[in-house]
Amino acid sequence: MQKKLFLASAVAVLVLVAAGSGFAHHGTAGYDMSKTVTITGTVAKYQWTNPHIILYVDAKDEKGQMQRWSLELSAPLLMRRFGWSSTTMKPGDQIVAEAHPSKNGAPVGISGTATFLLKFVINGAELPHS
Amino acid sequence: MYNRRIVSMAPMPPSGKFAVALLSCVFILLAHTAASAQTKTPAVARASGSAPDLSGNWLIAPGTPSFDSADPAGKNPQQLPMTPWAREKLNAAKPPFGEKGTFDNPNDPVQEYCDPPGLTRLYGFPWQFTIVQTPKNVYILFEYFHMWRLVTMNRPHPKDLDPTWLGDSVGKYEGDALVVDTVGLNDKSWLDNVGHPHSDALHLIERFHRANPTTLHLDLTFDDPKAYTKSWTAQRTFKLSTDPMGETMCSLSENEEFQKNIMDRTVPATPAK
Repeated sequence: MQKKLFLASAVAVLVLVAAGSGFAHHGTAGYDMSKTVTITGTVAKYQWTNPHIILYVDAKDEKGQMQRWSLELSAPLLMRRFGWSSTTMKPGDQIVAEAHPSKNGAPVGISGTATFLLKFVINGAELPHS
Repeated sequence: MYNRRIVSMAPMPPSGKFAVALLSCVFILLAHTAASAQTKTPAVARASGSAPDLSGNWLIAPGTPSFDSADPAGKNPQQLPMTPWAREKLNAAKPPFGEKGTFDNPNDPVQEYCDPPGLTRLYGFPWQFTIVQTPKNVYILFEYFHMWRLVTMNRPHPKDLDPTWLGDSVGKYEGDALVVDTVGLNDKSWLDNVGHPHSDALHLIERFHRANPTTLHLDLTFDDPKAYTKSWTAQRTFKLSTDPMGETMCSLSENEEFQKNIMDRTVPATPAK
């Protein structure tokens, strides 16, 4: 299973520009909204809870070390309005996920708020996004 | 949902070519007049009697964390005319948005404690609310926290109110507007997402007006002599939503996990693994 972390393509950067005004109830101060990373790995846990859905993804870093990413999405009700549900993915699914990473370099990112949702591919199928 | 005004037609007059022709002319004239009027001013239906129809699910658009209309992004939250008491509270606040926006919010009542957001901060989150009008009361129901407000119509405030999170709200209709007057608030909540404080002397006036079938305007007047040296105003606009009302809660147990696995890991300078 190939898992790889790499910086976003130019297309993803364009998405990012549109997402610069993203709204999360706690703000986006902890994230570098000028960057987008693409994480390729396996869903470890998909937590459909308030105040924001948390998606845990196991992926290898640039040195080949396995690490667990925590990705923040919007609240369940708002994700529902984007077309997602609590059964959209499950542990073990293959995933490609875009995220704006944390400023401090921790494997944490934000992938969706009330105003944007980045690109996700689950087992080869692209999910609804903004 | 919004219901268009239903215009009832008068019964047909006695038969006769002249009467029919005259009535047709009158109908055409009325139809033309109504169409012209709609072009100039969108029709706003009435729920019952003289009450304007404010029903519908209204979506709060994100992007304006501060109520200071001259500084909606909260880049200069100190510029409102504050008393020393309020300025000290604002300086101590660690809000999620604005000039001092941070993920480290130890004194934010909402982020840290899941406290009720307070009357006006509710308008700072991108959820829906709906307005239910009855002859005696108006209810404003929010998705966020599933909070609901009671607005008692056409009565004065009771005397000797105990301070509460949402205070005592009374309402009346003025033309096409619902005017809500609120006092009796505690001082535990913030006005907005950049940490503007208020005191227990806050007197808030909200004026809801349906500008057209899909747009609701809210004009707010803040009169709080303990916190602000003069009264000031703000505005919000909400668009009609076709989504049904849903649930979103602040759960301390869920919040704790989010705090631990997301927020706390992004705060330190050294990455937490």
